[in-house]
Amino acid sequence: MASASASGPKGLAGRGIATFAVRAGAFGAFVAVIVYFILFAPGFTSPFNIFNVVEQSAILGVLAFGMAIVIIGGGSNITEGGIDLSMAANMGLCAAAYASLLQAGYSDLVSVAAVLLVGAVVGAVNALAVVGLGILPLLATLAVMNIAGGAELTLTENTVVPASSPLLAFLMTGRFLDVSVLAWFLILFSGLMAVAIHYTGVGLRLYAVGGHPEAARAAGLGVRRYVSLTYVFAGLCAAIASVLTVSRLSASTPGSNEMLLSILAAALLGTVFSRRFVPTVGGTLLSVLFIGFLSNGFQLLNVSSYWVNGVQGALILLVVAATSFARGQEA
Amino acid sequence: MKGICKAFGPVKALVDASLEVMPGTIHGLVGQNGAGKSTIIKVLAGIIAPDAGSIEIGGRPVGRLTPASVERLGIHFIHQDRLLVPTATVGEAVFLRHEIGFGAFISRRRMAAAANELLKRYFGIELPAGALIKDLTTAQQKIVQITRALAQKTAVLVLDEPTASLVKTEVDSLFAVLRRLKADGIAIIFISHYMQEIDQLCDVVTVMRNGADVGTVRPAETSIDKIIAMMIARDVGAMFPKRKAAIGAPVLDVSQLGLAGRFEDISFTIRQGEIVGITGLLGSGAKEIVNCLFGLQTADKGTIAVEGRSVHPSGPYDAVAAGLALLPEDRRAHGIALDLSVRENVSLASLGRYSSKGLIKRAEEGRQVDALIRELTIKTPGKDVLVRQLSGGNQQKVSIAKWLSCQSRIYVLDEPTVAVDIAAKVEIYGLLNRLAERGAAILMLSSDLLELTGMCDRVLVVYRGALTGEFSGARLDSDLLLAASSGASRPSEMEAA
Amino acid sequence: MMEKSLIRPDTISRLAGLAASYSVIIAFLAVVTFFSLSTPTFLTFANLYNVLVNNIVMLAIVALGMTLVVSSGGIDLSVGVAVDMASMVFVMLLAAGFAGPAGVVIGLAAALAVGVLNSILVTRLRISPFLATLGVLFIGQSTQQLSTGGGLPIYMTSGYPAEQFNLIARTSLAGIPTPVVILVLGIAAVYVALHRSVFGRYVLALGIQPGVAWYSGIRVSKHISWVYVACAFLAGITGIILSATVKSYVPLSGNAFLLDAIGATFIGTTLSRERRPSVLGTLLGVVLLAVVKNGLLLIGWNFYWQQVGVGVLVFLVLAVSFGLRRHLN
Repeated sequence: MASASASGPKGLAGRGIATFAVRAGAFGAFVAVIVYFILFAPGFTSPFNIFNVVEQSAILGVLAFGMAIVIIGGGSNITEGGIDLSMAANMGLCAAAYASLLQAGYSDLVSVAAVLLVGAVVGAVNALAVVGLGILPLLATLAVMNIAGGAELTLTENTVVPASSPLLAFLMTGRFLDVSVLAWFLILFSGLMAVAIHYTGVGLRLYAVGGHPEAARAAGLGVRRYVSLTYVFAGLCAAIASVLTVSRLSASTPGSNEMLLSILAAALLGTVFSRRFVPTVGGTLLSVLFIGFLSNGFQLLNVSSYWVNGVQGALILLVVAATSFARGQEA
Repeated sequence: MKGICKAFGPVKALVDASLEVMPGTIHGLVGQNGAGKSTIIKVLAGIIAPDAGSIEIGGRPVGRLTPASVERLGIHFIHQDRLLVPTATVGEAVFLRHEIGFGAFISRRRMAAAANELLKRYFGIELPAGALIKDLTTAQQKIVQITRALAQKTAVLVLDEPTASLVKTEVDSLFAVLRRLKADGIAIIFISHYMQEIDQLCDVVTVMRNGADVGTVRPAETSIDKIIAMMIARDVGAMFPKRKAAIGAPVLDVSQLGLAGRFEDISFTIRQGEIVGITGLLGSGAKEIVNCLFGLQTADKGTIAVEGRSVHPSGPYDAVAAGLALLPEDRRAHGIALDLSVRENVSLASLGRYSSKGLIKRAEEGRQVDALIRELTIKTPGKDVLVRQLSGGNQQKVSIAKWLSCQSRIYVLDEPTVAVDIAAKVEIYGLLNRLAERGAAILMLSSDLLELTGMCDRVLVVYRGALTGEFSGARLDSDLLLAASSGASRPSEMEAA
Repeated sequence: MMEKSLIRPDTISRLAGLAASYSVIIAFLAVVTFFSLSTPTFLTFANLYNVLVNNIVMLAIVALGMTLVVSSGGIDLSVGVAVDMASMVFVMLLAAGFAGPAGVVIGLAAALAVGVLNSILVTRLRISPFLATLGVLFIGQSTQQLSTGGGLPIYMTSGYPAEQFNLIARTSLAGIPTPVVILVLGIAAVYVALHRSVFGRYVLALGIQPGVAWYSGIRVSKHISWVYVACAFLAGITGIILSATVKSYVPLSGNAFLLDAIGATFIGTTLSRERRPSVLGTLLGVVLLAVVKNGLLLIGWNFYWQQVGVGVLVFLVLAVSFGLRRHLN
């Protein structure tokens, strides 16, 4: 921060090495854990298990991409930048709405359309609060999280709402090339996101909006529109994830807000893989899969699942401490 | 632009202001802070909608301007703040919103190549491939900003204080580029506080005062003094007021200071009542020497002694405790907190004096702050007003008041007058003289050679990490300083630095 | 803003400014009036006493700590862990036959450990407060699950531990319940520390412009560390009061305070034009949240609707305050 402008070419090289070391270190930590599982967790490497993890990661993946988009467009300053704390609650609300609509006898088409609308509306409320009213994203989405969570509870009375439909059956049991639909979904969704974010002008502009809003405005970009759309997009991601979660559990269940921390962890952990320390599709996907493999490996090793949170937390700290160290070289 | 008016609440920022710029000229725009320069530019940029007035471009009246429509008209702005996305690559920054690719898809490779092509064509330089904006120097960022404008169809180029924080050689190459663009028929609006630059570069100058244009003159026919007189409509007196400070005992003694890879064997002494300048190109080590004095970086060799007591600052707290005061270059990030009040800013470094048992004695604090506001003639509605609401010159005064309140004996100033208008500069110079007269020792890091020759008793020149010269008396001359700081006559190395 | 009106525009903007500053108080008065009119039980001593002891005291103590952290420019997502750690250690020690005071001291020490961990992560390892405390939250959850066989509560409703609990939860000083006395002491301490002391001024400067604080010779790490330690300590006190009140330790129960504490602190910032957190603002936020929850319960809304109601109310307060302020600028 202090003398970034004063450092000459040499400082540049030094910083490059530190940045590289961190990214390599983060990657190394991931690889080390995976290698440990490969060596000691029975059945970890079987294709069945791997696709199982990919399948399980689909829901978190969709949500984490939504969060990543919000962070890209709002900037990665946590207290003032972009963040959507309402995503998990929004997903819970959408899942409840979806299951309830199906139970009430509506078709898949109507139900899915309605759920996408619900997700988008919650996202739009966030956008209104953040962009229109200028409330800090952390606060605005916190309030919306409470509202969405409460709305879900009133809808379901805190019970499990079972649901079944042709779409759910397809999502649950459908296979293509011996790989399940959910796994395919994650793969395709990631591919689409990667193209949209990293190979189109829209993606580039979104990074500009988050990286330096003033500069983006000076370049003629509609900053407010971009930021608004990120929250709506996050809402849509929550809606999509809700359909996937209902398909996995054949029901909507309370407690989806517990996903929030994992979503944040995945999106933030993903930033470490970028040399610019911003969320990327690849980094986010890698973090999502890592979180998936972590709990899977523990299961296979018969380690209590209670360790998973702790290890996840410790890894976040480890990785982020290393990142801060690299950034500290600039300060 | 004709008869532009704009009021913000009760404040009339522009009153019937007009500006006419011809293609193929470099048009200077000068005026004090608050004269309406930036407001009229913001109107032209489509950021602010005028209350009245009309704008014609190429002879055709234009309606409401928006940032996007302005860009379509070929008007580009080089803002004073380096408005570039820090995490973008050079290619991305140059072509943001005008990405090169196929349809919706972009090609980073082609953008990078095209950006490099432009950089080579206009500036004759090449930036490291794949470098991020935040890794570039200030001057390089400025160049990228101009390249961004040149990448589009450009009819009018507006530069707001483009030379602040550039060193002389960089300014010269920038001017060469601007003259080439002028020859291409581009109209250039050039805003600057540096009158020599206006004199050197501009064909025509429009002077603004109190929200209106008070005259348009040709610098070739009008003296700088006359332009300044038009700007302030009163006599500022000499730019550099005389001082009668008695030079006393040594206060700061730096001996054989060294920091690996930055500077070596730096020794100098500053006495009571003395103003000593220090200068050097970017990367010369001058900045790092100042940082080490204040504990922002830690020297690995040599000693620093304050009034005979050796200090080893490992952070600003050690330096402050030893009686040093730092006025950093980046005022907004390090000098004064815009969202703290005048009172909170002034007493921040000296709360120990206004407290007992850890509790603040507010009445005593208030009295001291009021006294300093009066002493430095800080223009503020009151001591509990946020510093954000003060003008740039008054903000700088608040940051000086902070150290006066601390009763610091040694003042280290890092580019104290960057982006400060002339009247405020003169006031700050007067203030520094008063400090010196009160027996303070002042070390001033600056790249403004005129300021150094006008203000300092002695100037130290740093070149490639070594003290290569000390100039005083008759030898204190900006040409000699420039020659010494650029390594005498070795232009090839100048580029490297 | 420019439309013609009989009232002068500056009068309107002054009123809007007042509304922006006092949106919490306006909301509070509106809510109290509404509930007093809609249910006779709301404005009774018994009910208000119940709200104070059961809804306000514990949340307020946690929120005071959060106010310190937010003032310093940070956030502490791990306050729930500090609450739980104090509660867990306290209850487990009593279960093992320790004396009450020993349990309290060691329980608070456990909470302090959480604060020390946070401060090391934030100041030494330079992790952003959000991520640092998020990591500690994860680790804290695992720790509790692992030490309670997967989250089994520990109940101590009778015998020696229950008597020790009563010493805290059921005693009073001059007719004032001990927890309330503790709260008042906490308010006084945090008020003096934040608004009257050199420490508080430094914390404020660090929160607003850390670069300036550093360049002014303030020891950044030292002050930031104290902020996290103090926050965890206050959360620990809540943990002790919580387990003494319910005579048990329920794993992960501290997390319930997190969002309300953050909400109360930020609702409180709407009181000041500069959006600075303050002890008074935070307390108003806490009281507003507690009163709304209680009132909604009394008029027969179930827990689920309460959550919606509180969310909407908080949203409205923030919207009015931020929206008006933005409109004015």
